[in-house]
Amino acid sequence: MQDVEPSAPSSVRTIDIINRRLNKRYRAEKRFKRLGLAAILSSLLFLGLLFTSIVSQGYSAFVQTYILLDIHFSRDAFDVSNLAGADYNGLIRKSLQSLFPEVRDRQEKRMLNGLVSSGAPFQIQKMVMSDTSMIGSTRSVWVPADDDVDMLMKGRIDRSAPEAERRLKDVQLGWIDGLRGDLRLKKKFNRIFFTSGDSREPELAGILGATMGSMYTLIVTLLLSFPVGVASAIYLEEFAPRNKWVDLIEVNINNLAAVPSIVFGLLGLAVFLNFFGLPRSAPLVGGLVLTLMTLPTIIIASRVSIQSVPPSIREAALGVGASKMQTVFHHVMPLAIPGMLTGTIIGMARALGESAPLLMIGMVAFIVDPPGGILEPATVLPVQIYLWADSPERAFVERTSAAIIVLLAFLMVMNAAAVFLRSRFERRW
Amino acid sequence: MKKSIVVGLAAALCVSGVAVEASARDYISIVGSSTVYPFATTVAEQFGKATRFKTPKIESTGSGGGLKLFCSGIGTEYPDIANASRRIKKSEYEQCREKGVKEIVEVKIGYDGIVLANSKNAPQMDIERKDLFLALAKSVPDPANEGTFIDNPHKTWKDVNPALPAVKIEVLGPPPTSGTRDAFVELVMDEGCAAFPSIEALKNTDKDRYKSICQTIREDGVYIEAGENDNLIVQKLNVNPDAYGIFGFSFLDQNTDRIQGSKIEGKSPAFEEIAAGAYPVSRPLYFYVKKAHIGTIPGIEEYLAEFTSDKAWGEEGYLTDKGLIPMPDDERLRFADDVKSLRPLTME
Amino acid sequence: MNFPLLLIVIFVFSQAAYWLGYKKAFFSAGEKGPVHLHSRPQYYGTLTVLWCVIPPLFILVAWSVFSETVLTGLALKTMSEYTGNLSPDEISLLKSDLRNIVSGRFIPPAADAALLEAADHYRHMRDIGRQGLSALALASMILGTIIVLVRIRPGMRARNHVEKMISITLITCSTIAIFTTVGIVLSVLFESILFFQQVPVTEFLFGLKWSPQMAIRADQVAASGSFGAVPVFAGTVMISTIAMLVAAPLGLMSAIYLSDYADRKFRAAVKPLLEILAGVPTVVYGFFAALTVAPVIRQFGESLGLSVSSESALAAGLVMGIMIIPFVMSISDDVINAVPQALRDGSYALGATKSETIKKVIIPAALPGIVGGMLLAVSRAIGETMIVVMAAGLSANLTANPLQAVTTVTVQIVTLLVGDQEFDSPKTLAAFALGLLLFVVTLILNIIALYIVRKYREQYE
Repeated sequence: MQDVEPSAPSSVRTIDIINRRLNKRYRAEKRFKRLGLAAILSSLLFLGLLFTSIVSQGYSAFVQTYILLDIHFSRDAFDVSNLAGADYNGLIRKSLQSLFPEVRDRQEKRMLNGLVSSGAPFQIQKMVMSDTSMIGSTRSVWVPADDDVDMLMKGRIDRSAPEAERRLKDVQLGWIDGLRGDLRLKKKFNRIFFTSGDSREPELAGILGATMGSMYTLIVTLLLSFPVGVASAIYLEEFAPRNKWVDLIEVNINNLAAVPSIVFGLLGLAVFLNFFGLPRSAPLVGGLVLTLMTLPTIIIASRVSIQSVPPSIREAALGVGASKMQTVFHHVMPLAIPGMLTGTIIGMARALGESAPLLMIGMVAFIVDPPGGILEPATVLPVQIYLWADSPERAFVERTSAAIIVLLAFLMVMNAAAVFLRSRFERRW
Repeated sequence: MKKSIVVGLAAALCVSGVAVEASARDYISIVGSSTVYPFATTVAEQFGKATRFKTPKIESTGSGGGLKLFCSGIGTEYPDIANASRRIKKSEYEQCREKGVKEIVEVKIGYDGIVLANSKNAPQMDIERKDLFLALAKSVPDPANEGTFIDNPHKTWKDVNPALPAVKIEVLGPPPTSGTRDAFVELVMDEGCAAFPSIEALKNTDKDRYKSICQTIREDGVYIEAGENDNLIVQKLNVNPDAYGIFGFSFLDQNTDRIQGSKIEGKSPAFEEIAAGAYPVSRPLYFYVKKAHIGTIPGIEEYLAEFTSDKAWGEEGYLTDKGLIPMPDDERLRFADDVKSLRPLTME
Repeated sequence: MNFPLLLIVIFVFSQAAYWLGYKKAFFSAGEKGPVHLHSRPQYYGTLTVLWCVIPPLFILVAWSVFSETVLTGLALKTMSEYTGNLSPDEISLLKSDLRNIVSGRFIPPAADAALLEAADHYRHMRDIGRQGLSALALASMILGTIIVLVRIRPGMRARNHVEKMISITLITCSTIAIFTTVGIVLSVLFESILFFQQVPVTEFLFGLKWSPQMAIRADQVAASGSFGAVPVFAGTVMISTIAMLVAAPLGLMSAIYLSDYADRKFRAAVKPLLEILAGVPTVVYGFFAALTVAPVIRQFGESLGLSVSSESALAAGLVMGIMIIPFVMSISDDVINAVPQALRDGSYALGATKSETIKKVIIPAALPGIVGGMLLAVSRAIGETMIVVMAAGLSANLTANPLQAVTTVTVQIVTLLVGDQEFDSPKTLAAFALGLLLFVVTLILNIIALYIVRKYREQYE
């Protein structure tokens, strides 16, 4: 203590010095603890920030603006033998014209027609094809509005800006207000977003195709990686002799777990596409690449899970005469399977969110029809997000965020399942 | 018993995995340039909705990657159509022929203007290509010493040409991997340096040096290589009124509320000017069709008909809404005719 | 018999085979009862199933792989006088036409009679083939079953047979990791060798200028592209460093707090939440970085009078750091928990406070493990793709200023492979060289890290 306060007068008792030092140490202790808490809180803050920024940008995409049009399906517009060939665009134009009869100018007419989505004629066409009895009558139909109108209704276009700096002109704003006054403009639940594939028009774009693609890809991944991963883990943990070959396998697995995912994409490009000649953009190839990527994760988790089964269980089984194989499959496996499943779910969640390797194997594609099998061209949710994030139309920003919300929801469910499994079946020996 | 069920099921799964019957492709497969991608996808979507055929699959692989895939051979595993933001090269054409892709139909779909734009908060600039060359080239002719070259000393636009504003030169442009950059070099830099007799003289004496002077863009931080995401460039121009950006016309078209295109040689990059061919910096866009696949892959002819119809690539067609600059009427007619008769491309 | 039906039959029969094998074992044991069998009767059943299922499945797989080629060949033979003078490519098209007609989905308008006839022939042959296939598969199934059944007797070592088959499967599965590595190396190596024939290795590794620009037309003289990868490495290192500056302290402190301070409830609530951060797809982080973080940083920097690029290394690095916090945390958590309790107790017994114990005892003891974990995190940061593709720039600046745009190895791989250039030019080949380099660098990092972590674990086991 002398060197701490060498000039201390003798009246200061040792206990005071100790107490002072103790206080200082306790303060340091508190500081350190607060630092730890601050670290955790700032990580959580980032999480919160990420979620709020995405939700606040994306929630509005779950509703979509529709316009109510009274469409007259006049008999002479249709040729019964060729229903698909009728001029559905003309029907819509006519009904808009009847709402705003004062519009005469050619330029203005174009602007008026621009209020309705270019997908509307196809919606009408589908209606007529499924029910020909409506020919000759007049029906009121809600058709999707153009993305600019949608953006205005959601307040994402500033209407006080000067006309030259707006995508919607003053006259169009007038019409929109008129439609709103007649209750012909309404925001409804955006069913299109969940029931259709990709589109160049934001108001017609949906995530069904990408979701189906993700599903097929994940099924392939799961069917291949779970059995193979568990089998390798069992072999390495229970049967493998200690030799160079097994060491090599182990080093490989541990290393592959940390190899950048994009490298797996290069592998898929060279091996599955160029060497085996599998079709581009197919969920089968995506699944194969993601299998190779997730295998190490599953193997490592499964091995940890097998390791955590205490040796006494094995010894007891061997003691009553079970073979090595029987011991493993009848006694160790049932105790280790929850841990293996947890690892698999986490691996699957990673595969669901992965996009970099898929960029290399042709899954960055414009695909409208949802895939019907593992050999049909498909894209997956994360790649769809990547594609939309690059589109110039402003309405795609909220749709990108909405697709992210959907993807995150899937991931949360999977992670929650893993956490549940772990807490439900985790045993401390 | 349980075990045998597991074995049986696992085996059945394995087999059914392999047994997905490989069938012939019944949709059109398109690859190629990211510049043509927005136009091709729009047509494909219309085509898929309006006909009984499936919607084509369109991959954005870049012109070179697309043509490479396209030229790999004939058969359903290879794409039917390749989009390109430049004309097919002779080497690529020969590669195609080598692999048996003998007959290719070339379709020019229109033009894409390359614009130099800045924020609306700053005045519009009117510039000549030779001044752009002086502002952006790595080495420029030494004004004091005829026939020699010095590292580009110009700091402000006024240094380049006294008529231009005294604003620091700062240009955000595409990286070397991009087709837009290649086109910019060819249409602006090459043309700009042709205005200097001292460089022209090099053309005959030292061709390599001539090219490297004309085509190398300066690297001292004045020209900033920005990402492929042109939306970000637009945002950045918006906050920095001194900066200029180089990108495709469609991004200018989508953001007319925030940015303006500079006049080049007195012509502003407006829709009409580019369409009339007056605006000097515009490049043609193409796609290439494998003739052998027509009749084998369902729908190719109908897709071509949709693409070359007036309602798509015409002057008021839906592609112009996406930023495509249509060809003049006679050129359009000629290409539509070529498509109808499926006249194969010859390259000598 | 069609495919699914055949599978169902095989499945049902395999259940019967199990029962037969089971009963046969009982029967062969006679009065002495099943005690005299070498293995438990179930093993005889399982062995029968394996022999009953594997041969027909093998035949089915072979059929589905080869049938189309063989059938098409046979069908084309019927029109040999027509195909005789066609080039191989035209024949390949003809084959595609044939398959289209057979599948009935699309009949080429130009199809002539010979082709239609060939298609009929194809269908005919296919039907015969399918019948033959069914017969063959069923026969092999029954034969396999009978062979096993005949050989079942009490002394037969059924269990050993079954276990042998299982262990062969297990070994095969575990070697996939090796094939993957070999596949990765081979798939990048060839193209890299092509690249290094055009660009010297030394220029690639030590060159200071990265500008992969080549001529776009044959009549242009190739403006020399330069492939000095140093600026690309420098950018990667800078972004990874920023990421580690964020992730290392936050992750380590979080792990310490969670393992030594937090009570059970807090830990149970916070840990899964932080794991969500690890589960967020990287494309989401990329979107977040490009659209939310980068503009904020730029505005903040500009309000301080600094010039900030919209694709600053700072934004990408910051977001990447957030992404790897949970990774660092969970590794540090493992490592800290592996420090034996005795060390802690000893330190407390000497009167040290918790923080002193952590700083003076636990961290030094856990240091090798932590360093190994950090190295793994670095290798993850280097290989991360989507965040930098979306948020970092492409300009290969050799700079130490985190407010400027830099580029990374992964960004260059993606843009080189999906750019507008010619495919055999050094531009695209460079992507593979970068891929090889990325693989080698992460491999070295991983091996060092894993070695350290393993050595460290052994120390306390």
